Amino acid sequence: MKDDRGVSVRLAAAPRRVVSLAPNLTEIVFLLGQEEKLVGVTRYCNYPPRAAALPRIGGIVDPDVERIVAADPDLLLCTTDGNPKERVKILEEMGIPCFAVGPQNLDAIFETIERVGALLGVPEKGRKEAGALRVRADRVSRVQRAPSPRVLFVVSTSPIIAAGNGTFLDELVRTTGGRNAAGGFAGRYPRLSVEDLLVVGPDIILVAAMAGVEEFSPSVSRWSEIPAFRNGDVVTLDGDLVTRPGPRMVTALEKVAEVLSAWRTRHPDVPARTKGETR
Amino acid sequence: MRGRTLVFPLLAAAFVGAAALSLSVGPVQLSLGQVFSAITGGSAGGVSGETAARVVLTLRLPRILLGVLVGGALSSSGVAFQALLRNPLADPYILGVSGGAAVGAMTAKLLLPGDSFLPLPICAFLGAAIAASAVFLLARRRSGISRERLILMGVIIGAFLNALIMMMVALAPPGRIPGAVYWLMGDLSLGTLGRVGMLAPYVAAGVVLLFLLSRGMDLLLLGDEAAFQSGLSVERVKTAVYLTASLLAGTVVAVSGLIGFVGLIVPHGARSIVGSGHRRLLPAAFLLGGTFLIVADVLARTVGPSGELPVGAVTALAGAPFFLYLLRRNGRKP
Repeated sequence: MKDDRGVSVRLAAAPRRVVSLAPNLTEIVFLLGQEEKLVGVTRYCNYPPRAAALPRIGGIVDPDVERIVAADPDLLLCTTDGNPKERVKILEEMGIPCFAVGPQNLDAIFETIERVGALLGVPEKGRKEAGALRVRADRVSRVQRAPSPRVLFVVSTSPIIAAGNGTFLDELVRTTGGRNAAGGFAGRYPRLSVEDLLVVGPDIILVAAMAGVEEFSPSVSRWSEIPAFRNGDVVTLDGDLVTRPGPRMVTALEKVAEVLSAWRTRHPDVPARTKGETR
Repeated sequence: MRGRTLVFPLLAAAFVGAAALSLSVGPVQLSLGQVFSAITGGSAGGVSGETAARVVLTLRLPRILLGVLVGGALSSSGVAFQALLRNPLADPYILGVSGGAAVGAMTAKLLLPGDSFLPLPICAFLGAAIAASAVFLLARRRSGISRERLILMGVIIGAFLNALIMMMVALAPPGRIPGAVYWLMGDLSLGTLGRVGMLAPYVAAGVVLLFLLSRGMDLLLLGDEAAFQSGLSVERVKTAVYLTASLLAGTVVAVSGLIGFVGLIVPHGARSIVGSGHRRLLPAAFLLGGTFLIVADVLARTVGPSGELPVGAVTALAGAPFFLYLLRRNGRKP
């Protein structure tokens, strides 16, 4: 089977010892009910809670090659964009099959789940779980889509760094019928000033809560010209939920949809605006 | 002679021009009339007029004031270090101030829980002050302070602190770092009128002290021996210059992060305009540094397609080629 690097990964038999180099992959293995095969995960793998008890092989950008080899895996699951390519290459050259994935949108996540299921010898389970997630995602995208609020999804509040085009957070906002307030900026994670916020005027601000990301400082949130601050539509979401391209991205989608639908109930008559889409 | 008298009015005019430019450009489109009425306290009327006034007064004006204080202080400090060390490559960060401030800021970000907005400048200043004092004490001997030992100790302490920074980055949980990293790259966006008010007296005191030490610095440039023979208490002047320039740099680093290159190139630029007498050089460097940083901040705020750029990156990008140009032009007369 080909992975997202285009490398063909062939296994003689279903793997028995699997190392996962990313939290979203660990979550996928658990979803498929294959967790007893995991012999190594990263120090960031904290979901489901039992994952935290598994042996650790380092971090995402700094996996410990020697520990991975010592775990004697017959399959390594890794990512194309987070894990260092050179280390994966070293492990491949030592004869460990490495399957690298890098889903860039929700559909790709579902498809990744199916492929990992097939790889782990449970193709049926993979299709079933992916299908269930697809149904949930479809349900969300079918809800009422108007009016369409301008949503700013920030990953840092000081400095203010927002999710721009091409990010999962952007997809969450668009799928739930919102418009990305940072869509007019170039780059995936533009840094915005208070003046930028005044110009794009987000109706809702979602904060991906991660360690070190706090509430907006009063000098920012006192700008009542910005609708989200004026109306108190600033919502914090679990950062793990919204940044991991794994099964829980659908839960994140449902949460974002809840926020938007609550906003629609409170602002039923906000006319669709067009200004400020581009800078 | 006529050129000499015109220099300061010209510098002041450039400064006012830069400030006016900075007040009138930004993501929020404002007319010059709106900017003017905001500054003069009048209102253009209506809700948007009030918003315009707030944008000008609480977002743009503090950045300009912070830019003047930071740019001016770094340039003055650079002038002092170049005289003290008799080295054209000296800048305010050469003797451990930057590394100390960085370690202090990272410590605040990593160890202090919750809203680490206020403690960060304090920790950064403490870090800078501790590092600068350590360099000074290690370099001092009974016979006095030697320039070579100051530079050597500064480099060693700096390397040690850099290693500490790398350790902290490697061990820090993800998410804790970005704020500190942006801060390290230099950031004027933290400018608020309150913070400008806090900074102003320290910068004023430091700059005035350096100005009073002008003659001492003129003599230091001649070398210790010659300075001593002209009746200068060399060691006391060196100590005073060192402490004033370090604390000046440490104070501004605490509010604006590490803005590189200003303290290195502005003194050279100012020297090529007014010569190397410190009575004229220091005020010229202060004005030129303030102007330079304001213009760099305008670029940082407006040219990036993906939002604001770190102003420290802009100063270095613009500063390095300019420095090379100065070096080439002055190459024949060292």
